[in-house]
Amino acid sequence: MASSSPSDLENPHATCSYAPLPGGTGDEPTVSRHPKKSAAIFLVCAFLSLAFVVALIGVDKAELNTNEAAVVLSRGRGVDKGVSEKSFRPLLGAENSYPWSSNMLDWQRTGFHFQPKNNWMNDPNGPVFYKGWYHLFYQYHPDAPVWGKIVWGHAVSKDLVNWRHLPIAMETDQWYDEQGVWTGSATILPDGQLVVLYTGSTNESVQVQNLAYPADPSDPLLINWVKYPGNPVLVPPPGIDEKDFRDPTTAWKTPEGKWRITIGSKVNKTGISLVYDTEDFKSFELLDQVLHAVPGTGMWECVDFYPISKQGENGLDTSIDGPGVKHVVKASMDDDRNDYYSIGTYDALKGKWTPDNPASDVGIGLRYDYGIYYASKTFYDQDKQRRVLWSWIKETDTEASDISKGWASLMGVPRTILLDKKTQTNIIQWPVEEINRLRTNATVFKNLVVEAGSLVPLELPAASQLDIVAEFELDEATVMRLNDVSDADVAYDCAKNGGAATRGALGPFGITVLAHEGLIEHTPVYFYVAKGVDGNLKTFFCADQSRSSSAMDVDKSIYGNVVPVMKGEKLSMRILVDHSIVESFAQGGRTCITSRVYPTKAIYNNAQVFLFNNATAATVTASLSIWQMKSAQI
Amino acid sequence: MNFSSPLTILFTLLLLHETLYSTMADQKFIENTCKGTPSPNLCLKILLANPKSQNSDLTDLALIGVAAVKDKGVEIIRQIVALKSSKPKLRPTLNYCEEAYHAVVYADVPSSNEALRGGLAKFAEDGMADSAVESQACERSFSEHGWMSPMTDSNKAMNDVANVVRAIIRMLL
Repeated sequence: MASSSPSDLENPHATCSYAPLPGGTGDEPTVSRHPKKSAAIFLVCAFLSLAFVVALIGVDKAELNTNEAAVVLSRGRGVDKGVSEKSFRPLLGAENSYPWSSNMLDWQRTGFHFQPKNNWMNDPNGPVFYKGWYHLFYQYHPDAPVWGKIVWGHAVSKDLVNWRHLPIAMETDQWYDEQGVWTGSATILPDGQLVVLYTGSTNESVQVQNLAYPADPSDPLLINWVKYPGNPVLVPPPGIDEKDFRDPTTAWKTPEGKWRITIGSKVNKTGISLVYDTEDFKSFELLDQVLHAVPGTGMWECVDFYPISKQGENGLDTSIDGPGVKHVVKASMDDDRNDYYSIGTYDALKGKWTPDNPASDVGIGLRYDYGIYYASKTFYDQDKQRRVLWSWIKETDTEASDISKGWASLMGVPRTILLDKKTQTNIIQWPVEEINRLRTNATVFKNLVVEAGSLVPLELPAASQLDIVAEFELDEATVMRLNDVSDADVAYDCAKNGGAATRGALGPFGITVLAHEGLIEHTPVYFYVAKGVDGNLKTFFCADQSRSSSAMDVDKSIYGNVVPVMKGEKLSMRILVDHSIVESFAQGGRTCITSRVYPTKAIYNNAQVFLFNNATAATVTASLSIWQMKSAQI
Repeated sequence: MNFSSPLTILFTLLLLHETLYSTMADQKFIENTCKGTPSPNLCLKILLANPKSQNSDLTDLALIGVAAVKDKGVEIIRQIVALKSSKPKLRPTLNYCEEAYHAVVYADVPSSNEALRGGLAKFAEDGMADSAVESQACERSFSEHGWMSPMTDSNKAMNDVANVVRAIIRMLL
């Protein structure tokens, strides 16, 4: 796992890890005392860097000082290189004095990611396709851009991309949800009826499960909701703490013809998932066995349980079972704020699930996403026969900024989920195909040869809303020839190895987005290939926020993980850039990384994209298609 | 009641012993809790300053901690307002700091309180983590613009308290 241990406050874990106070490293430039001199040095350097960059384009590569090239991507030239850090700082005076101008904050709102107009959002709730509309409900705090007394926000869409916001679906108007209408799921019954189970935080802050249903089932917009008068339908069972009982799942059919749900909880530090059977969603029977449990993982929030097809290319209804099916158990780990999943086998008679690979069990193995991604939930889209994943993407800036801009949180772009037929040991996630309809104005680059230590600016009309699809090939000769290898290289860790500035023989290389022309701010998304002593290659996929912004009050972690690469596969990535969110996908969605970035300079017309190869030895050949993304109705 | 009866004396002694033992147990609980924080002495100071801490469970101790963050935040905002008059040149940075501490007192603290009462400790942890970051951001904003910070002690105090409370909250997860 890339996250650090929970109790390590010297390095607060990734979700809240901000750059610490400077220890006099000289990283922070102070106001120049010689503006004219600095201006002159700046202009000379700007010209030189432009000339340098121009020299890189084209087949005939000029003699390249790889040290210089590497330094462009690193923290800045040291004094011995003759150019100080501060000379790259644009001298804009008052406009640049304080990080967050309204111009900068306004830019942060996305073009095609779901977000309410203002205030706070967290978990997606009850996603469902009903009478021709996709519904998304969500945890919403209407009063401030911070978590608080939560209600169910509601929006509808025909295509998962363009949204119509509707009135609040459920408020905190009953004793059993007075402290919050928390997360829940929808189930469509065979006769087309829709029911919702959700967690209420009672007037005494006890977590209970409640039943709700549409006031008018013939209303496709499902505007009004009725809460079952007999609520709550479930209260914490004996042995379960009244504050460890939340987030009921969509129900699925048992062999006996009953409905079954699962609810995450914990016993001491063991994360568990309780199982209940019901015939009417009003009275429930707790099974003796939990669906699954993993010691040491802590509270399981937002549990999700669903079948995936072993052979097929479609999603499956939650009730499907049989020999051609595997089951996924997913849970959000309260302790480390990440979503984990595991593939295994479900025993419908016992109501028990077992992972295929216990070393990769829930909470200790694979994550849906190696960046900011939590409280996710899938639903079966019966219209297009796919399983679609929604997730909450929180802010990683300060609360003060969220208050200034008036909003906090996004949903990730919905993704389809399938079993990876090639590896069999992970799922693949891919943005829903409807997102492609926003593509316009393609720029295509074919077979760009990028030598070790070089940077290629990509000429684009704009760079805040992009869909980038790229393929890379390392030159075989270098890979084969490489003898100076050690297992230290294959122990690379995106989070700890210094990001795109740290050079290896075969990486890093990739694309840097939301990049300012001097690379004062940029966000590299890259592959790092390591060759082990056994000659095998290990590929890492990372997104580096360490230089994403000059502001010092935003998270600058580096995220990523290993990505499996099958023999004969080129390295491929897809990057959705949408203002303050960057979603990156490697090898068709085997490894995904969602990042939040808050540049102060690389915004509006100043945002650019560069292709880079910061390896020391290998040449990389890259082919890319970059589309401008139109804005959706969000 | 015969006060000099051996039984009465024994009963009284036992009662005193139980109370003493119970108080010692609570004290031990507070001490152990504070040992799990980055600044145990500061933690003890905060918790013991509130008499309710003697009968507190972990959630109550965390709430006492959040109240301490709020008090410190309110005090710092007053300091900022005073500095804006006495050091007008620093006003732009002080405005930034005021917004930072405003977020602590009016957003992070209420959110953390609500989260602790509801049993969603993670949101309370986020509130305290943000409080520490706001204090760091305020402190850095002075040097970023070539000024000496007039608030170093205050910013450090907030950072330390927030990190202590965050550590207590993590024990609830």
